[in-house]
Amino acid sequence: MPIHEKHLIRPENIKSHDKLVMDGIDISGHWSTFIETRVVKDYNESLQDEIAALPGGEYVHRCWQCGSCTNACTVNAINPDFNPRYWIYLIRMGMESELLRDKDIIWQCVSCNKCTYVCPREVAPEGVMKATAHWLELKGHTPQSPSTIFDDVFSTQVIETGKIEDSLVVRNFFQRTGQSLTQDWLIEMVKRMVAHLPVKMLMALGIATVLRPRTKNWGGARDAIKEYVAEQDAHHRKALGLESLVEMAKLEAAAPFKQAAE
Amino acid sequence: MNAPVLIVGGGPAGLAAAHALSSVGRPNILVEKMDRLGGAPILSGYAKLVPSGEWAKDAIGGMVSRVMDNKTTDVRLNTTVKSFDGQPGNFSAVLNDGTTIAASAAILTTGFTHFDSINKPEWGFGLFPDVVTTTQVEQMFSSGKGVHCPSDGRTPKRVAILLCVGSRDRQIGREWCSKICCTVSANIAMEIREELPDCHVYIYYMDIRTFGLLEQKYYWRSQEEFKVKYIKARIAEVTSNGSQLIVKGEDTLVKRPITIPFDMVVHAVGMDPNVDNLTIASIFGVKLEPNGFIDRKNTYGIMGATNREGVFVAGSATGPETIDDSIAQGQAAAMSALGMMNIGMAAE
Ligand SMILES: Cc1cc2nc3c(=O)[nH]c(=O)nc-3n(C[C@H](O)[C@H](O)[C@H](O)COP(=O)(O)OP(=O)(O)OC[C@H]3O[C@@H](n4cnc5c(N)ncnc54)[C@H](O)[C@@H]3O)c2cc1C
Ligand code: SF4
Ligand code: SF4
Ligand code: SF4
Repeated sequence: MPIHEKHLIRPENIKSHDKLVMDGIDISGHWSTFIETRVVKDYNESLQDEIAALPGGEYVHRCWQCGSCTNACTVNAINPDFNPRYWIYLIRMGMESELLRDKDIIWQCVSCNKCTYVCPREVAPEGVMKATAHWLELKGHTPQSPSTIFDDVFSTQVIETGKIEDSLVVRNFFQRTGQSLTQDWLIEMVKRMVAHLPVKMLMALGIATVLRPRTKNWGGARDAIKEYVAEQDAHHRKALGLESLVEMAKLEAAAPFKQAAE
Repeated sequence: MNAPVLIVGGGPAGLAAAHALSSVGRPNILVEKMDRLGGAPILSGYAKLVPSGEWAKDAIGGMVSRVMDNKTTDVRLNTTVKSFDGQPGNFSAVLNDGTTIAASAAILTTGFTHFDSINKPEWGFGLFPDVVTTTQVEQMFSSGKGVHCPSDGRTPKRVAILLCVGSRDRQIGREWCSKICCTVSANIAMEIREELPDCHVYIYYMDIRTFGLLEQKYYWRSQEEFKVKYIKARIAEVTSNGSQLIVKGEDTLVKRPITIPFDMVVHAVGMDPNVDNLTIASIFGVKLEPNGFIDRKNTYGIMGATNREGVFVAGSATGPETIDDSIAQGQAAAMSALGMMNIGMAAE
């Protein structure tokens, strides 16, 4: 039996005919409106396995839908559509099309881990959010989100140089996300840093910006980390049934690892 | 006061009462209407029991041989009680073979009757061979045949277990919770996943009542280790598309109607009052409680007392019970009977 609750009716499911005459009776427009039911016709059993194969998603199958995570969630307080409990359910039951409806907000998790602390079943919902965002990206449903671009920029630099240089991270991040370096708030922040930070520290910052320090003899570590990262990536892609090498080449072309480290 | 104690019903509760009395040297007569002792776990061929994990034929079979081997218990199979008269310490019972026996007290351990799923026609039992009951799945395991669809013998790829079939349902006049079926279903789900790792098991529930320590061992473990899926929905109907069963209902957590294909649907059948209870009540002069189980006189006084002095009750005759609780009650009722006789003898 279909359920007609107004908030559950979706615009794309409303069918009406501008012109419809049946048995000589004109039932155009509103008179011929009907709502397609949102029936779950099958469970996609691989969805849960795919999410569980990505880091953070391992415990998704434990969830018993208590809603503690959503209640505790920082982002949910601002955006009620951000509902970890609900997405975890969709993942568990394999309601992929339903999950994809929210693909543009899932990445907004701020990793505050409040959910992780309240969850009575140790599902680690924060991890599931991460894995889901990762899944959406790998499957090509979403472009890289700003937060994963940031992670990328950050980790690429660490991997390449064995050090982290903040201003370079910020510059690369702004460049990759197409943001201007002369935004008002940024200029203001730099001004105040100059005004309030100890001179010694400012000098160190300046030197680091110019000289870009590297950890000595880092090469071996860098190669090992890179190899590991590539291995993991191939492993994840395989779990999602994606062509590993071809896709990897594509990804590298879209988001080259080297770019930030020159 | 020296006449034997009459025990009616040779299931876990009756076996426990018989053993308790024999172990203190008190003669007793165990009357069982079927041709074997053991009650539901043996007669219905249960497989591995909760919470012990022991096979029913070993665990309950052990209780049976313990009673059979002890001459203090006089076992009468294929026997029922036709009439029961007299006073505490001095009853006389007429059995169906015409013999009359003297009894000092009686303990009713006549148990329960499995709910007959035919009474919920919308869930397809009796219409589609691949709709089965938990009892049938237990038998698939205990017979060693393994889980299979009765229609063509294939191993199922997807199984739905429907909880509360014949319980918690005013439509069919059964308002009680049968207490054990959630746990038994979680256990069966794990056993299916263990035997057929490629088979997905879904449990449709209204509440999960794996009470006490069973929560972790059955509900949590079935999800965490065996990836059994629980869906909050009471199924509306089970139909067939010719090759598979179609389960319809509402997934209440996402407010969506569901129409999902399954290979096999399992009814978690509940525990009804024994169909003989009206007869038993009139023969023994005991009251039934509103649902039709044998009424206990009080909760905290004399364990197992009924409204009729000298007649005690134990186990699932009083309402849905687990095996371990039935055993405890059987022993408690034996103790109550002994206590009553002790007081009687002191008065003589
Ligand atoms: C599918 C299913 C699985 C279950 N699995 C478990 C489990 O794993 N663990 C657990 O703890 N519990 C389990 N239970 C519950 C368990 O079956 C009961 O707790 C147990 O059988 C109760 O024992 P009892 O002696 O009270 O009654 P019963 O086992 O019903 O025994 C009653 C005996 O009395 C006899 N009798 C009945 N009427 C008369 C009469 N008029 N005259 C003479 N004899 C009579 C019957 O033939 C029977 O032998 C399960 C129940 C179901 C439905
Ligand atoms: S970690 Fe993410 S999902 Fe969890 S509470 Fe914070 S914002 Fe919400
Ligand atoms: S808090 Fe944990 S168990 Fe509860 S809904 Fe969230 S993930 Fe599931
Ligand atoms: S134990 Fe579970 S399945 Fe059985 S009646 Fe109670 S709630 Fe329903």
